Amino acid sequence: MNYTKNDIQPPRWSLQLLKFFVKKNYLEEIEGDMEEVFEDNLEIYSTKKARRLYNREVIKLLKPNLVRALGGNHQLNYFGMLQHNLLITLRGFWRHKTSFLINLIGLSTGLAAALLIFLWVQDERSIDTFHEKNDQLYWVMANFAINDDVRTWDYTTGRLADALLADFPEVEESVRVGNGFFRPRGTVAYEETLFEVNGLFAGTNFFEMMTYEVILGNPREAILNKNSVAISESLATSIFGSSQNAIGKTLDWEDRLVNKEFEITAVFKAPPKNASKHFNIVLNYDNLIERDRWADEWNGGYAQTYVILKKGTNIDDFNRKIAGYMNLKSDSDRFTLFVQKYADNYLYGEYTSGIQTGGRIENVRLFTFIGIFILAIACINFMNLSTAQASKKLKEVGVKKAIGAKRIALIFQFLSESILLATFSLILSIGIVSLTLQQFNVISGKSLDLSLQQYLLPITGLVVLTGIFAGSYPAFYLSGFKPAAILKGKLANPRSEGWIRKGLVIVQFSLSVIFIIGVIVINQQIEFTQKKSLGYDRESILTFRERGATYQDPQPFFNELMKIPGVLGAANMSGDFLTADDNNSGFSWIEGTKDDDNHLFKSPKVGYNFIETLGLEILEGRSFSRDFNDGIGSIILNEAAVEYMELDNPIGTKIGWSEDLTMEVIGVVKNFQYGSLHNKIEPLILQFRKTGKKHFVKLQPGSEVETIAAVEKAFETLHPGQIFKGSLLADDYTDLYHSENKVADLSNYMAGIAIIISCLGLFGLAAFTAERRTKEIGIRKILGASQRVIIGLLTSSFTKTVVISIVLALPLGYLAVSKWLENFAYAVEIQWWVFALAGLACLVIAWITVGFQTIKASMVNPAQCLRNE
Amino acid sequence: MKKTKLGEFEELVLMTVVVLQADAYGVEIKRELESRLNETLSVGSIQSALKRMEEKGFLKSEFGEASQKRGGKRKRIYQATPHAHKVLQEMKDVRSQLWASMPSMVRS
Repeated sequence: MNYTKNDIQPPRWSLQLLKFFVKKNYLEEIEGDMEEVFEDNLEIYSTKKARRLYNREVIKLLKPNLVRALGGNHQLNYFGMLQHNLLITLRGFWRHKTSFLINLIGLSTGLAAALLIFLWVQDERSIDTFHEKNDQLYWVMANFAINDDVRTWDYTTGRLADALLADFPEVEESVRVGNGFFRPRGTVAYEETLFEVNGLFAGTNFFEMMTYEVILGNPREAILNKNSVAISESLATSIFGSSQNAIGKTLDWEDRLVNKEFEITAVFKAPPKNASKHFNIVLNYDNLIERDRWADEWNGGYAQTYVILKKGTNIDDFNRKIAGYMNLKSDSDRFTLFVQKYADNYLYGEYTSGIQTGGRIENVRLFTFIGIFILAIACINFMNLSTAQASKKLKEVGVKKAIGAKRIALIFQFLSESILLATFSLILSIGIVSLTLQQFNVISGKSLDLSLQQYLLPITGLVVLTGIFAGSYPAFYLSGFKPAAILKGKLANPRSEGWIRKGLVIVQFSLSVIFIIGVIVINQQIEFTQKKSLGYDRESILTFRERGATYQDPQPFFNELMKIPGVLGAANMSGDFLTADDNNSGFSWIEGTKDDDNHLFKSPKVGYNFIETLGLEILEGRSFSRDFNDGIGSIILNEAAVEYMELDNPIGTKIGWSEDLTMEVIGVVKNFQYGSLHNKIEPLILQFRKTGKKHFVKLQPGSEVETIAAVEKAFETLHPGQIFKGSLLADDYTDLYHSENKVADLSNYMAGIAIIISCLGLFGLAAFTAERRTKEIGIRKILGASQRVIIGLLTSSFTKTVVISIVLALPLGYLAVSKWLENFAYAVEIQWWVFALAGLACLVIAWITVGFQTIKASMVNPAQCLRNE
Repeated sequence: MKKTKLGEFEELVLMTVVVLQADAYGVEIKRELESRLNETLSVGSIQSALKRMEEKGFLKSEFGEASQKRGGKRKRIYQATPHAHKVLQEMKDVRSQLWASMPSMVRS
């Protein structure tokens, strides 16, 4: 060995470790001991072993009473600071109870509203996303050019699915499903008992491609056979008591679309609540073809076509490839195909002239904005109140800075204060949400629930963001003061401070005014849809559908109905009246007037008495009548159609439809609203069909309940095996504005919340101003100012702010509501008094809010407020 | 006895301190005990026991002179307090009384 003993050192990292963890005042002694032992060991063992032994000894030194406290003094300070901040914050809350409560109530209401909206938006966005191959699942849509316009249809020919799969390598799988018009709905019978079903015609690979879980049976073979059906778990339970019992059983179905016996081969789980399509029975698409050969023709439009595209397919390229596909296959060159993501169809379902223009996403955006605005209003309250009270915190800031607190530490302190407040508010708001969720579900028509685990991250994020946003301005503002100036008693430029505060109040009140305007206009429009004369009579009309398998003359049934004392009239039609989806093209008249088949007309097919029962007004000619033995050749036009066809003398005009049918105009009816007010009144041809299955019964007002019961009895006597399901036409009409009604309801509440929060803030500010100006008021009073002058003085500054915000809000509000009203073909006119009312309401609310504080301040006894210093 | 909480190992260390007198510092105590007990002890266990007893008032200590062998670090010399002497005496008494009362069979 060349080394002297002293050259050999213990392992360095081990020594470092020792120095790190051993208590400072023991270090010298223990380090010395360790070194001595190490040297002893060097004499006995090899260097290697001595080092190893040293390491082992170091580890064995890890004893609780030798190791220093974790982190040591260094971090204890941070802890102390946090503790101190918390204490100061809580004391502050306690001392300024009013502003704390205002902030707490405001923020928690705002957060609760934002949370509810968040849940709603989340639910809307999740619709139809549950399919396993959601990313690849597309819906084939068709743009159809007609009447110099482009219509977008979500249905295509039934042959498209297979053809796309065969001709395009990008398509991995495809399925066809009968479109909305061709859905088997009705009643099935099992051993004489009837059950309501809501079905779907689907291609055989339906259950493989879409994620509707099959519980019993083989998904591949569920509807492989024309005579087999799959039913949902709940239907199986209600018919057979359990899913197991259902397999192999036979259901009897008699309907216009379906008329045979089916064997149950599979049971599937009902579509989840975030599915846009709900159904409880699935049939093979071939059943539809059996009833109607057009379901499998290139010129038919009976199916919705869904495809799964290969991963990485460029959608734009694919759309370009399939655009002209229909021109090759069908004899029409008017189709342009394109695909849209299946899940997107729910939110982005509206098209104008073939271009995607919106849909439910507009409501989602609207409410997202409302949620953000409400939260912003609540945050502004916090900002305003805490900066307003800055003077009370100035000394604290000054002293802290003087003894060496860095600005960043102060910012941290104020931010932690606002985050703490936000956390309190969150706890409160979760309480509010769980109390009001039930009610909210009723209003929004959803079944939301608040699962904290699922949303822990976004909710925590929301709170931290709210805290930082609300606390940012006060934090940077308060921490920026110069300590010397503060301690000398000089306030840092109070003028600009006042302006920022006023600006924030202006933002708050502008938003409130916009909300008020929005609420008034939305409610006006809703009322308008209910009050506008539609050109027909929808009051006291009972409507229901006959679902028998065959078309039969409804006259015997009507004769029976007319015997009931409360029935004033009865009529029928094919299809549905309010959905207004019965279109026909291919009409031609006076050769050469217009290009032959490029005309699409609304074309409901009605029976005798329809015009009379619904109170449509005949302007010229006559109505359909038994006396003239009307048939398929008699038609009635509306005024719009007469104008569109440029007919001077419409009665008697011959109109050709397809090659073999010539029809004659027998009358002209006054324009009426076919469908909802979202659509313009369009040219319409009323055709005659005797055997429509949609029935309308005009009731004698006043005795509706008994009459409906009698009608139901007559229906069930004459249509054995069918369940009577009637509704009032007026109710169905209201349902057309379902989504608007929800928007109206929700925005009423949200506007209310926004206004309340704004007023809370104003109240706090008023209280603060009045308090700060007590001395001024005292002196003014001594000098002879009357109470009225004082009130005027205190109110005027708030009035100015609110007036500015009203002026700013009016044009913005106008823009917002006129954009919303564009959704309607017939909308209320925006009247000036709406704006006046909104502005005035806001001003009055502000005055009332401030008034209490102001009057209290003006009544103060000057001797009292000047005496104490 | 009740107020003294002296563990078995602590008692051994304490007695070694008394035995070593002016030489009673960490490594010396370790060596002495190792040779008497005929087993290896770690610096940690000795130091931990010393500190514990110092806290309980059985020992007091002061720095001794620095020595070359320890890389210039000073030793800490431990000394038993009168209280410790008393406790040791009490424990010895209790033990000898117990020994005296044990049946002779075991004593041999």
